[in-house]
Amino acid sequence: MKKLFVLIAVVSFLSVNLFADEAKKYGSELTLTEATPISEILADAESFVGKKVLVEGTVVDVCEKRGCWINLSGDKEFETIRVKVNDGEIVFPMEAKGKNALVEGEIFSIVTEGEGCGGDCSKEGEEKEHKCEHEKTTKKVYMIKGLGAVIK
Amino acid sequence: MKIRKLIRLLHRDVGYVAFGLTIIYSISGIAVNHVNDWNPNYIIGKDTLIVSSGIDSTLTSEQIVEHLTESFSITDSIKSFFRSSPTTIDIFFDKKTLSTNLKTRIAVIETVESRTVFHESNFLHLNHPKKLWTWIADLFAVALIFLAITGIFMIKGKKGISGRGKWFILIGILIPIVFLLLYF
Repeated sequence: MKKLFVLIAVVSFLSVNLFADEAKKYGSELTLTEATPISEILADAESFVGKKVLVEGTVVDVCEKRGCWINLSGDKEFETIRVKVNDGEIVFPMEAKGKNALVEGEIFSIVTEGEGCGGDCSKEGEEKEHKCEHEKTTKKVYMIKGLGAVIK
Repeated sequence: MKIRKLIRLLHRDVGYVAFGLTIIYSISGIAVNHVNDWNPNYIIGKDTLIVSSGIDSTLTSEQIVEHLTESFSITDSIKSFFRSSPTTIDIFFDKKTLSTNLKTRIAVIETVESRTVFHESNFLHLNHPKKLWTWIADLFAVALIFLAITGIFMIKGKKGISGRGKWFILIGILIPIVFLLLYF
């Protein structure tokens, strides 16, 4: 019995270490083979809504507590797109930050409410450099509903 | 063999097997119950630093990365970097991210460390492995049901289910019902 426990422990340890640096799969298997540049999606996002895409980019941010989203950098500077997954179905680890990811999913949009200055333009600050409108603004944001991913 | 003796024997041995998983699930249960108050999987540290000399944001990203890593004497190997705007850059290292605002020269080093025991427990409890683990977790759930049922028939007499035991069972059933009535 003791020998069996030792054998299980050794095999477990080796298997964890042997595959530590390999690409990790999340969720469903990828079915698409051709990646769509993120810049192409962001340039005309509305036309991609409801379509399944495969995108590739660097993971630049991860949902800290639940691993329920990642932000992927685009092929062009200063561009990112969020990959949102159903809580618990896929959980992205914080260690994914900075790694390359191939993600398959469906483009969708949500309308978010931006924060207005509440009537006090001085709160807007110098950085925003736009005219205060004294009211909340709405913005349509495009994301990918992640179905499967490979991160390495 | 008498039925009560068999119940006690099975309850004891199934209980032994369920011990490890019960501890794991309980630890994780407490941890994820308070997910709004803390991060149950990671210890995330943030340190703010100031870049000693100004950085020209018109430099290439590669030149900025070199400048920053030299400024902060970071020798870790770089995984990748990303510019979210002309004046901000994130440099990714293993379990560490350096985010710098080139305009304000303020840099934040974020370190990520796995919360040992909790992270592993949550991984299993929330069924992140899926596959075969789903069946193990189901078997464990069935074992808990078995332990609950056999538990109430282990003792007979006034300390058993026919005695004061039934009142304790009633309390255990009423607790979730009361909270359902209050919050559901």
